[in-house]
Amino acid sequence: MARAVGIDLGTTFSLIARVNPATGKPECVPGPYGHPLCPSVVSLDPDGRIVVGEPARRRLLTQPERTVYSVKRLMGRGLEDVQEELARFPFRVDPDSHQVVRVLLGERAFTPPEISAFILREVKSWAEQAFGEPVDRAVITVPAYFNDAQRQATRDAGRLAGLEVLRLVNEPTAAALAYGLHRERRGRVAVYDFGGGTFDISILQLIAADQGDIYRVLSTCGDTHLGGDDIDARLLDLAREEIYRQWRMEVDRWPEALQELRRAVIAAKHALSEQPATTIRLLLPDGAAYARSLTRAEFEDLIRPIVERTIGPVRQALADAGLKPSEIDEVVLVGGSTRIPLVRRRVEELFGRPPHCELNPDEVVALGAAVQADILDAGVRDTLLLDVTPLSLGIETMGGVVARLIPRNSTIPASAQELFTTGVDYQTGIEIHVLQGERELARDCRSLARFRLPVPPLPAGMARVEVRFTIDANGILQVEARDLHTGEARSVEVQPSYGLTQEEIERMLEESIEFAEQDFTERQLIEARLEAETVLRATEKSLAEPEAGDLEADERARIDEAVRALREAMRGPDYRLIRARTDALNQATQGLAERLLNRALSQALAGKRVEET
Amino acid sequence: MAEATEQGVVCWHCGQPVGTETFCPACGKIQPAGPQADYFAVLGLPRQLALDPAAIEQRFLALSWKLHPDNFVRGSERERSLALERAALLNDAYRTLRDLVPRIEYVLEREGLRREGEARQQAPPELLEEVFELNETLEELQSVRQQGVQDAVVLERLREAAAGFEQRLQELDRRLQELARNWDEAVSSGADQAARGYLEQMNEVLNRRSYIRNLVARVTAELVEV
Repeated sequence: MARAVGIDLGTTFSLIARVNPATGKPECVPGPYGHPLCPSVVSLDPDGRIVVGEPARRRLLTQPERTVYSVKRLMGRGLEDVQEELARFPFRVDPDSHQVVRVLLGERAFTPPEISAFILREVKSWAEQAFGEPVDRAVITVPAYFNDAQRQATRDAGRLAGLEVLRLVNEPTAAALAYGLHRERRGRVAVYDFGGGTFDISILQLIAADQGDIYRVLSTCGDTHLGGDDIDARLLDLAREEIYRQWRMEVDRWPEALQELRRAVIAAKHALSEQPATTIRLLLPDGAAYARSLTRAEFEDLIRPIVERTIGPVRQALADAGLKPSEIDEVVLVGGSTRIPLVRRRVEELFGRPPHCELNPDEVVALGAAVQADILDAGVRDTLLLDVTPLSLGIETMGGVVARLIPRNSTIPASAQELFTTGVDYQTGIEIHVLQGERELARDCRSLARFRLPVPPLPAGMARVEVRFTIDANGILQVEARDLHTGEARSVEVQPSYGLTQEEIERMLEESIEFAEQDFTERQLIEARLEAETVLRATEKSLAEPEAGDLEADERARIDEAVRALREAMRGPDYRLIRARTDALNQATQGLAERLLNRALSQALAGKRVEET
Repeated sequence: MAEATEQGVVCWHCGQPVGTETFCPACGKIQPAGPQADYFAVLGLPRQLALDPAAIEQRFLALSWKLHPDNFVRGSERERSLALERAALLNDAYRTLRDLVPRIEYVLEREGLRREGEARQQAPPELLEEVFELNETLEELQSVRQQGVQDAVVLERLREAAAGFEQRLQELDRRLQELARNWDEAVSSGADQAARGYLEQMNEVLNRRSYIRNLVARVTAELVEV
């Protein structure tokens, strides 16, 4: 039987990992492109085929209206509370969405759990390809600060992908687990997890007990809508404004150009983690060239307010754990955004000690998830994770005030019971509104569920029904009720305010057969051929330009040979060979491509000079 | 539910007697907790108020190893649901008994002196004058701030008042510790009447304490805004 896997279902990238049975060490599974990062991008081809990952990311440029990224931002959220996201991200939301948002890919609408399920299926297929056996059980990670609805949506995605979700594990906790294996470590650890779309801070205590290691979360805090995405959006705004000022051109009206620009600013962001300056380049639809040099200092000034937004949650988590920054023994950095030097400096300044970043910040969460999957599945009993609920749980009482039942940072599972009685004679039900959040009033908290508690028809105040609210080890609410007169359990149908019903999930599972997994190699072959065709077309176009005439004979011969070799590979079934030869052709035409770009740039500059004089 | 027969409580799985054990001595299956399990019993602690925090934590961690739902992922549905119930109860017990104040509140609830979640506030009579003054100072500060000026004198008075009330809180905490020890002794020597008296005194101290804490919180909030 295949071992259970760990999956990091991320905003920008997703990864799958498992503990290697031979070495006992967790390893990420590389995908068909040779690395373990699967872009969390999903596209629906006009022929009805679902495309996920790297090929879908390329479709962001060619078919943006059929492609979606960062869908994690919409998980477990209603139409009215994603308005801010809709203003900042090019989500195409079905106007007919009810409580659960639906995203349009071309003409079809999908819920965020369905789209996430496509991503999960993709990485699952990577693992199945690598292990040569089916994968059906997984630990999936979630941001520690995810609420009940966001967790349920993630669990639904797992089920829609045909996975038994053994556990939802908080991302910073998973990272701590991966680090704990990496080296001997005891004491209090702060995990600062700044990813693509979410920020989490968790304070853990690592305890060596007779039975093994205990990873005990003392407190957690965060922001489920703060991440590298926000930094990209800031840079994008800057570039958009400058392009508008210079050329009166609204890039937003060209979705392809906007995606090119997004790719360019992300490349610039990455470059500035390594070097002191870079240039954002974009060829505009009318042939003008935007080239904007950006220094690290200017970049840091731009993003400082975003980085500062992580500090409040850090202070809150420390206060909740009853600790001062100096009482933290180790600081661990997780998530791609912690590669930014400003982030590292700020964390170091806050805690007064250099943070750890020995493990790849992109992989560490998936590695920890694999370790937890192994613990749960293989019955390893030498490690214990004690996690907490990030938000207080309460119910609405008279006047819209929230009565807190389970405080935030309670170790989970946790429960609380409330006794309910009737106020009116022969009343047959009591309305109960369950909320999550720290505010006093129900309207400021997150609605989890409303349900009607059935009670026996008795004179007012006679009925006595006890309701037990339990937050399970996944951080998900369960409700049970018991009639104290009869001792009978009463079933309670709790319909989540922003979730899918059981029936909806079943229906989606049936529908998903339509998108039944094509054979892994078949899919790779289709994608590899499509990519090859794109590159071949671009090459033909370049060779028709006047610059092609200036090519040295041997350079031209190399291009022709690369084209011939690629065409030959495309006739065969080996997707790896096609990819390798596509790369080779890209290499061979690089000099030509540069010459073409230089011409465009000098023309643009000449144009500008004419304008200025 | 475990069935109660003439032999006492028996295991839901194998039918052997289990008594009050968490795991069946015969088949090892996890057993349901009683309907009104006492938090002290859940943690295996003596029913007393003066407890060593390290000892409470030790018990909590040792029991977590046994009861955490992670241990039952491959178990039957029944076992998983029992583990969830038991682990939640353990965590609830630890959360409640870990610190002295909620520990005292729990005992007061169990003894019928306080209703669950109830936090009555009672202005201590000997403090009435000081509270009155503090309220005046707070109002003064608010009106001064509306005019957009900082009044150093008013601020200083507020800080002094806050420090004074903080000191009161510490005194009350010491008083609670003392009463807690007294209660433990009275209970262990069977002096029920005296024990009841200590509980009533603790209840009163708690009411004052929450009143003063609210005051301090209000003042702190004002000072933070400045």
